[in-house]
Amino acid sequence: MGLKDVVKKGAFVDILRGMSVTGTYFVVDKVTVEYPKEKLETYPRFRGAQALLTDPETGDTKCVACMLCATVCPSQCISIVGEQTSEGRSHPAVFDLDLARCIFCGLCEEVCPEAAIVMTRRYELATFDKNDFFLDKTALIANQAYAHKELFSRPAGEGAGGAEAPRGAAPGVTPAPAPAPADGER
Amino acid sequence: MSDPVAQFVFLLIKAILMPVLIIMMVAFIIYFERKFAGFFQGRVGPTYLGPWGSLQSFGDIFKLLSKEDLIPTRADKPVFRLAPYIAFIPAFLVMAVLPFGPVSEETYLFGYQFDYVIANFDTGLVLFLAMGAIAVYGVVLAGWSSNNNYSLLGGLRAGAQMISYELAMGFSVVGVMVMAGSLNLVAIVDGQAGNFWDWYFIPQVVGGLIFFIATIAELNRTPFDLPEAEQELVAGHLTEYSGMRWGMFYFAEYVNLVVISGIVATLYFGGWRAPFEVLDFIPGPIWLLVKICLLVFLYMWVRWTIFRYRYNQLMSIGWKVLLPLAILNLVVTAIVVNVVG
Repeated sequence: MGLKDVVKKGAFVDILRGMSVTGTYFVVDKVTVEYPKEKLETYPRFRGAQALLTDPETGDTKCVACMLCATVCPSQCISIVGEQTSEGRSHPAVFDLDLARCIFCGLCEEVCPEAAIVMTRRYELATFDKNDFFLDKTALIANQAYAHKELFSRPAGEGAGGAEAPRGAAPGVTPAPAPAPADGER
Repeated sequence: MSDPVAQFVFLLIKAILMPVLIIMMVAFIIYFERKFAGFFQGRVGPTYLGPWGSLQSFGDIFKLLSKEDLIPTRADKPVFRLAPYIAFIPAFLVMAVLPFGPVSEETYLFGYQFDYVIANFDTGLVLFLAMGAIAVYGVVLAGWSSNNNYSLLGGLRAGAQMISYELAMGFSVVGVMVMAGSLNLVAIVDGQAGNFWDWYFIPQVVGGLIFFIATIAELNRTPFDLPEAEQELVAGHLTEYSGMRWGMFYFAEYVNLVVISGIVATLYFGGWRAPFEVLDFIPGPIWLLVKICLLVFLYMWVRWTIFRYRYNQLMSIGWKVLLPLAILNLVVTAIVVNVVG
């Protein structure tokens, strides 16, 4: 230990430097978020529980029961039963999603040609009842309240990729089939 | 009321009021310790109970009282029960010699002569050192009687640490003693009369630092909290304690913190005296309180900044650095005082 070290230790240089660091933290803004009282804004691409978006004009869901989401889902948590409306448009009669199995990968949202199923910013999913994890069509439509705002501005019929794609057409990037006729079973 | 009766009444009031006030203070110091621990780490600390979480300590007390009081089957039960009190009581006894205002024939309160100290006796400093030594028995006996390896190691460490640091502490205090020419804390404060540059922390800067470091070791606070090093010894001597028995150790630690801050203020920072003679109109107890609070804050700041020393580092600091420096400080002080004064 040289003389320099002795002087450095005798003058408490390192200790004072450390105390200045903690002293700075003492006065600056705190990083704590007091969770139940205040909540962080989720990021725009946050993947929370899914929602089915509805057409603001008709009030019916944008989903055309093409089964793409049910097919792509790695954990196979989506099950759809399609049917024809009186106008000849196909739509889901049953759209069930099991959150207990969902891995929140967001593939359903990516693959959807109608931008109908979206991931939301709803992340407080803890519950006392397992059945609450089972989202039927009504619950998914109700989840729209949590959907990211900018997703609403996407006009109906516009898929995740294509901007000018005609209604119901496949997005340009993925070689997805045209809106499948409702054949009901998977 | 004749004067002796008045003195006795004053004594009773002082002897009751001072511990009660310090206990109230300790409740809030525990809250501030937790709050400031958060602040020093960029967090907010307790916030729920009371405004800004200020009633947190009382919540802690109720939690501790409601907990099961567990005594291990193989423990040495009488000693196990006694140990918290041995740790608890010495801290209170030191308060008796702590002057919190002027002590002379001319100070009056309600028309009677009033001493701003509970016990004005000549060897107050020796009482402080002796009580510090007794308080260690609380820790050592707690470690021994728990019949637990971790507790025993904690107790042994506390004993070894205290032996090492008490020496440096005693020698550094002798410097102040030589300057004041007395062991009486009242006389030591009188020796620091005047402005803040007359206080002993300037001529005794080395001794003051040694004393401060040694008190951190005596208080078992980080960076010298070897006796309860959580990462190695679970909780050291506190491992087997639960409920209010554990609470008493915890409480004694903070009473000690306040009292030792008071002693540091008295020995080196002018005790109840104002930093400038102009400010003498503000009463002494308030100045002492301010100084205690600042020192407690400093202890907290050190605690939440510096990491715990390794055991061999602790020993080499104590024996190879602090003790020789303290002796050197004493020699220099004695020569200077004899030549100059």
